[in-house]
Amino acid sequence: MATETALPSSQVLESYPSAPSKSIPSLGSRRPAPTVPDVLTTIYSFPTMEPLRFAYYPANHLHLPLRRDILHRAVIFEGDATRQGTASTKWRDDVRGSGRKIRPQKGTGRARLGDKKNPMLRGGGVAFGPHPRDFSTKLPRKMYDLAWRIALSYRYRRGELIVVEDGVNIEMNEPRRIQQILEANHWGNADGRSLLVTTNLRRNLFAAMAGAGAHGRAKTEADVDVKDLLELGRIVIERSALDGILRDHSSDLNRTIPTAVYN
Amino acid sequence: MPPRLGSLLGASLSVPPPAYFICSFLLPGLQSQQRGASILSCLSDNAGAYNKKIRRGRGPASGKGKTSGRGHKGQKQHGKVPRGFNGGQTPLEVVHGKRGFVNVFSVDMQPVNIDRIQAWIDQGRIDPSRPITLKELGESRCVTNIKDGVKLLAKGSEQLRTPLNVVVSQASAAAISAIEAAGGSVTTRYFTPFSIQRILRGRTDPINSLRSHDTDADSILRGGFQQRLPDPTSRKDIEYYRDPAHRGYLSHLVPEGQGPSLFFKTPTTGMPARRKASSAKAVAAENRMW
Repeated sequence: MATETALPSSQVLESYPSAPSKSIPSLGSRRPAPTVPDVLTTIYSFPTMEPLRFAYYPANHLHLPLRRDILHRAVIFEGDATRQGTASTKWRDDVRGSGRKIRPQKGTGRARLGDKKNPMLRGGGVAFGPHPRDFSTKLPRKMYDLAWRIALSYRYRRGELIVVEDGVNIEMNEPRRIQQILEANHWGNADGRSLLVTTNLRRNLFAAMAGAGAHGRAKTEADVDVKDLLELGRIVIERSALDGILRDHSSDLNRTIPTAVYN
Repeated sequence: MPPRLGSLLGASLSVPPPAYFICSFLLPGLQSQQRGASILSCLSDNAGAYNKKIRRGRGPASGKGKTSGRGHKGQKQHGKVPRGFNGGQTPLEVVHGKRGFVNVFSVDMQPVNIDRIQAWIDQGRIDPSRPITLKELGESRCVTNIKDGVKLLAKGSEQLRTPLNVVVSQASAAAISAIEAAGGSVTTRYFTPFSIQRILRGRTDPINSLRSHDTDADSILRGGFQQRLPDPTSRKDIEYYRDPAHRGYLSHLVPEGQGPSLFFKTPTTGMPARRKASSAKAVAAENRMW
């Protein structure tokens, strides 16, 4: 997926090694596939933000053009899937009680009424009330995977995708400490908050971020969705988490030709 | 106590914060980031990707204003009319009855042609040195959406240049002759829709069932599969797969010189004709006095 390069000692931007070009394999097209240069990312150490080395990512992972319509569909798809749909009311048949006619049909001088579970009466059923249902909608997997990479590409181009070395954590569960880290890097509340993404749960980091919620949010790779990637000011993501997300969301790229399986 | 951050970050922050660092490197002309300007607020689908909801009864300019597209007066304006209701006149369906019927005996065979199998072999998606069964055909997507079975047909049989061993539900006579001319073999065998599902999931042997071989039924193991393949029970299916012309897998059960039918006996294979009657006749002739 990504290739790594050691950080040059000179630290002059112009002297960076040129990105290796990679041609996209094409199936049955006559024109030669265009060569797409990889894009360059810096990997930092977490609290100190020292640049450690560079990594190249394919342009169809981190340098896709912005497609607001596909992002919109992905965000709507996630929102629909998140809805619980458990609202429930009782119709007059479901309400507990007798079906006895509560007053004679004629002669009382009052309105005609049947049983006391009539939706018109207090204590009766609810007419046209909500019932449990599934709000989830469908989205083609390839489109959803593309949306993930479009979201990351958007962040990358704006310089809001900060890739850090694995093992992001802090020594103790101290919200003040993580707040200091965020503010020192201009990642805090004043700079639009930050999303920290790790491969798995880091107890100290997540507890501290819960205490410093005004400055950002911490999520594991499995809990992140497209909306999370777009919501806050920037994404601070572990190298493995980024690789994992790109690996899991590339179904539109890795087209495998179905073949008979022999044991 | 962890080290205070002031001293720690003093050295590393001599360079600008990474957000602007990458930013200026990639796109020098990009304006600085604004606080709280999330892209979420300006996402929308393409204008042509969806239809606007028609708002009925919302004024004459909407085009669906006065009668809301329901016309004038009557039950159709105010509510629902039963489906097929002809306004009280005897409905056409009652006058003339329903036409057609559903053939419950029809089988829905997915066709697969020889040139397609050859193309799959050329692409390396099917191994011709091993039996080509429903499992291989389904896994390699050579045949999709298999319902009652797969029928092998002969289109493009001039392109066939590999000996194949094919096990399918049915095969046309031309396909059988083409494959055998190329040095391969065809076997047709009985499948049910459920057994096809199990075969595609790898839970059933795609070739062998209890009656595939002459050996005793109890001695045949399941070969590591959860369920066995079924054998036909209806006369029509049994006769089809007993027929050597169909290369049926039950043709080994047919005695030499006999036909596949379970009902009609082959004329020359019945019980030998009795000669006793003639001998009795001869005795009678001997005893005849005049």
